[in-house]
Amino acid sequence: MTHEATQITSPTKPSEILLHLGPQHPLQPGPFLLDLKIEGETIREAELKIGYIHKGMEKVFEDRTYLQILPLTDRICYLASNSNNDVYCRGVEELLGIEPTERAKYLRVLTNELCRLQSHLLGIGEYATDVGFLTMFIYMVREREGVVSLLEAITGSRLNHNYARFGGVANDLPPGYKEMALKTLGELKKQVKSHDEMLSSDSIYLRRTKGVGVLTAKEAGELGVAGPPLRAAGVEYDLRRMEPYLVYDDLDFKVITQTDGDVFSRVKVRLLEILESIYIIEQCLDQMPSGPYKQDVTPYITRPKPGEVYARIEDPRGEMGMYIISDGSDKPYRFRIRGPAFATAQALPPLLVGGYVADVAAIAASMDSCTSEVDR
Amino acid sequence: MEEGGLGMGEIEAELPPNVTVTSASAIQEFIKNSPLQKIVNWGRKNSLWFMTHPMGCCGIEQICVGVAHYDTDRFGIIPRCSPRQADVMMISGYVSKKYLPALKRVWDQMLEPRWILMMGECAISGGPWWESYSTVTHLDEIFPVDIYIPGCPPRPEALLQGFIELQKKIVAEQDRTVIPNPADGGV
Amino acid sequence: MGDEKIDKTIMIELSNTFKDAVSDVDVPSPNRAVARIDPGKVKEIMQFLLDNGFDHLSCVSGVDYPPDKMEVVYHVTSYSAPLVITLKASLPRDDPNIDSLCGIYWNANWYERETYELYGIKFNDCPYMKVLLLIEEMEGEWPLRKDYAGYPDLT
Ligand code: SF4
Repeated sequence: MTHEATQITSPTKPSEILLHLGPQHPLQPGPFLLDLKIEGETIREAELKIGYIHKGMEKVFEDRTYLQILPLTDRICYLASNSNNDVYCRGVEELLGIEPTERAKYLRVLTNELCRLQSHLLGIGEYATDVGFLTMFIYMVREREGVVSLLEAITGSRLNHNYARFGGVANDLPPGYKEMALKTLGELKKQVKSHDEMLSSDSIYLRRTKGVGVLTAKEAGELGVAGPPLRAAGVEYDLRRMEPYLVYDDLDFKVITQTDGDVFSRVKVRLLEILESIYIIEQCLDQMPSGPYKQDVTPYITRPKPGEVYARIEDPRGEMGMYIISDGSDKPYRFRIRGPAFATAQALPPLLVGGYVADVAAIAASMDSCTSEVDR
Repeated sequence: MEEGGLGMGEIEAELPPNVTVTSASAIQEFIKNSPLQKIVNWGRKNSLWFMTHPMGCCGIEQICVGVAHYDTDRFGIIPRCSPRQADVMMISGYVSKKYLPALKRVWDQMLEPRWILMMGECAISGGPWWESYSTVTHLDEIFPVDIYIPGCPPRPEALLQGFIELQKKIVAEQDRTVIPNPADGGV
Repeated sequence: MGDEKIDKTIMIELSNTFKDAVSDVDVPSPNRAVARIDPGKVKEIMQFLLDNGFDHLSCVSGVDYPPDKMEVVYHVTSYSAPLVITLKASLPRDDPNIDSLCGIYWNANWYERETYELYGIKFNDCPYMKVLLLIEEMEGEWPLRKDYAGYPDLT
């Protein structure tokens, strides 16, 4: 692995060719262009070109009031919309000096974890198609529909939930939610366990993924990666444990790590995190205190005092940070989104160099980056 | 076919009796005006293969609609990864100035008859990012759009409804696809 | 990932080591620390932080303060401690340039390119100062500056 691989040069030898993958490609949701210089089957240089769905979010956010931004934060990464809402709300709450109510904290943890479930399920599914395991994709999407219905029952929307509010959440749980959730999640747990078994016993799949695209802990640190790719390399870096926000302090959970850092471990981490998230959700449902789910007086026009805040959260893909500068008006002066997928995508080209063309799909999909958030 | 159809006048002299030569476009004209076209349209409407081409949040719903649970295969609608195998392109999300040339190229790679569906506010009018410096808004001036599916994101049911409307349009011959004329060197 | 204890004492050490380059040190909450740095010394300061266990550059962002100031904001943190250090370097608005960190943190590359294309802040010796997200024709427009005329684009 070379750290210099950021720019591709034109082929010099007759045996080298340039291969363009994208911008329209079935590797992952979202267009990007992956340029590879290959010699035979081996990748010599790689460059990732992004910006195909750049929306200028940070500029748009500077022109919206704090409340108007809230639904737009969903669209940063649509698979992690609850996490984005939550981190944004915590940032603004810190600026305003308010706290969410106790029940709201539990509700936010609950929806964050449900969001992690559906994101990981779709991530594994996408990855499974890329390694030629279409059946797994169909299974994963079927499982995901159950989780999406659970989210829909709370938030009223299948995607882009827009659930957190300043000082609370949008609404309470519907009646009979606990039984419904436990039933679906129990089923999901069984299914995920059997899928895990299927993935770790299929010899063709193992040969395709073990020892491929290895990212060691040291390299991952140097490349600035966080989230499941880093944990797959054995580093226990999880903001839920390191900088406990909301009520993660009171919940019992393990930080999932693997040791190899290859494609197989990255997917294994996600599979095990699904089980761990289910465990967290069950605890949330049990321990959730009754009480108001939002502050009595929620500020409608929000004018925080001048100041700045950097809030972060453990997103399904890694560390999501938002840096908000307020100048005392009703719109933020500067809104910086530090996405986890940006860091992961940047680390992809060095990871591909030296590997085979046939492994590109497996490695790219196992990093599970989200193009929408890379481009913003 | 390269010379723009057969030069009929020259060949006619050498033809055996009772044989007439016609061009492919004449056959097409004939089919178009006969009940046969109904059968062709019936076939087309029941095999709308769409290109999986997720671009934004709406792309996720597009993925979900193609596989288990919503299962568009019931209507003969199945996802394909390559534009060359697809009949329907869905613009499912934000189109930026950088991506527009590539999108046009993908559209050009698709074989006729082909249809285009606008999924979500972003594709229809720019959606939440309509003021942004990098997005393109008036996509319907660039592509011959048949169906608009509003929503941010539209639910999968809405997407299905969009497909059904497209099928109705095809049967009624109201769709905007351009049937190529072989005489023009089309496919 | 060193085993030194990583906590707020680093800020005292930092201001002791770089007496005239670090100012306005503030610790607003247990896991956050803010300081203002001299843009000429950014490389030495970052190297010092890296040697003291701050091995993760979270983010590089630009902020525009018209009419005469621009800021580059660095968020540095560690894989083994929750402390996030925010370092701000002020630059003149008419010719903003600062040393690149690519040699110290590998992942500074994309962040710096992004800041360059959106704000026009030049990072000296960055190996690859070119647009990343925008189309090439937009280089030189600096869309995130406060006086950018192309927003809102009402066409
Ligand atoms: S219409 Fe809404 S949901 Fe669809 S891509 Fe645009 S922002 Fe995302």
